[in-house]
Amino acid sequence: MGHLEIRNLHCSYGADDILKSVDLSVDRGEVVSLIGPSGSGKSTLLRSLIGLTPPRMGTVELDGEEINYRNRQSLRHLRDKMAIVFQQYNLFQNMNVFRNVTVAPLKIKKRDKGAVEKTATELLDRVGIGDKHQAYPDELSGGQQQRVAIARALALAPEILLLDEVTSALDPERVNEVLDVIRDLTRDGITMLIVSHEMSFVKEVSTRVAMMDAGSVVEVGPPEQIFDAPKEQRTRDFVGKILRH
Amino acid sequence: MEYDFQFAKVFTELPYLLGGAWLTIQIAFIAFWGGAFLGIFGAIGKVYGGAIARGAIGAYVVFFTNTPALVQIFFLFYALPEAGIVLNPLTAVLIGMVLNSAAYLTDILRAGIISVRKAEIEAALTIGMRPLQVLSYVMLPHVAKTLFAPLSNFFVWLMLGSSIAALFAVEELTGRAINISTSNLRTIETFVVTASIYILLTIIASLFLSFIGRTVFRVKAKVM
Repeated sequence: MGHLEIRNLHCSYGADDILKSVDLSVDRGEVVSLIGPSGSGKSTLLRSLIGLTPPRMGTVELDGEEINYRNRQSLRHLRDKMAIVFQQYNLFQNMNVFRNVTVAPLKIKKRDKGAVEKTATELLDRVGIGDKHQAYPDELSGGQQQRVAIARALALAPEILLLDEVTSALDPERVNEVLDVIRDLTRDGITMLIVSHEMSFVKEVSTRVAMMDAGSVVEVGPPEQIFDAPKEQRTRDFVGKILRH
Repeated sequence: MEYDFQFAKVFTELPYLLGGAWLTIQIAFIAFWGGAFLGIFGAIGKVYGGAIARGAIGAYVVFFTNTPALVQIFFLFYALPEAGIVLNPLTAVLIGMVLNSAAYLTDILRAGIISVRKAEIEAALTIGMRPLQVLSYVMLPHVAKTLFAPLSNFFVWLMLGSSIAALFAVEELTGRAINISTSNLRTIETFVVTASIYILLTIIASLFLSFIGRTVFRVKAKVM
């Protein structure tokens, strides 16, 4: 049994079916990257998993327990274990860096203040923002904001981390500082689902890569298979196009 | 002009006038916070509510922003007793002003609610916030910051607008000024001093609000 089991997942925005039967099994500690053309449903899959665009059909199991996306309790339980980092960081603009990271464990989970602050300090040090606790998001560069967003996502000690194109909005020279942080996290054994267009990074950190097209997963395999010897024609076309330059 | 100014007759009444000014501040304060409390729910209902809630709130806002506050208070004070509800003048003024400012604030705050980035709300939900927590930790601070200047102006406007209470014999600043001028008959001097006190009040309020804005909400725009 996998850590996360996705079976026959369907999701739609209005009349448009974005996900058409997604099946994916992710083991504990795995780093699975989702690749595929724009509009193939990669981001929607992540948003759907964390309940921002609830699935229309299909099941998601976390440690063998099915999640009911229409039940608040079940959703909160899920969000205790799963966190997401967005493309646009989405930090709380009215809170400084430290409060962005501590607000959830402190105010929502009512955890012990001393322990929360200690964890937050460690996390911010780890992502290299240790000297900017009092800064506000609009005073930071994109790369710094994204690293704070990663620290915020980790503050609740999630078991599964979803990363939705976290470097796509960054200046090219800022991309690496964020990728370094993620690379560091992959050594922790936290289960990760990554949507990324940084193919060399995907190749390097992923235990498996899932190729998505038109709302479903067309091929899953280790990076060597997907990038060097894809079995599906669709994967071959996509990989061929992006690796040409 | 052969007018003999006698300000001394007004200055002796200064403590009495300042007492009225204190009540003016209190009325504005209650009208503002009462209105803001109702207005935030009105604004949320207008943005996120269903058709019935939106329609009801819309009708409320249209009614209260298209009739004079004075007429509304007249109604509370003179018509409600027919239904067995007798309000003292100050209570009638406060209820009227709260209902009236709630209508204006519903519209003002609605603009602020709409301007909260959807992505920030989503981020808040994914870290486990409940709707009321999203409201208090994410939405309201954003609204207070972006709307700080218009809200400050609205507070000043309420402070001046509270002078209609004088018509119901409430002894706020204008009410007490009328009392003085009818007994000392120095109308011009009395109202020159009264106007000066109002100006002072608005300057103090504006400076105080702009200080709060800059320190608490990091508002960069000047209030005054």
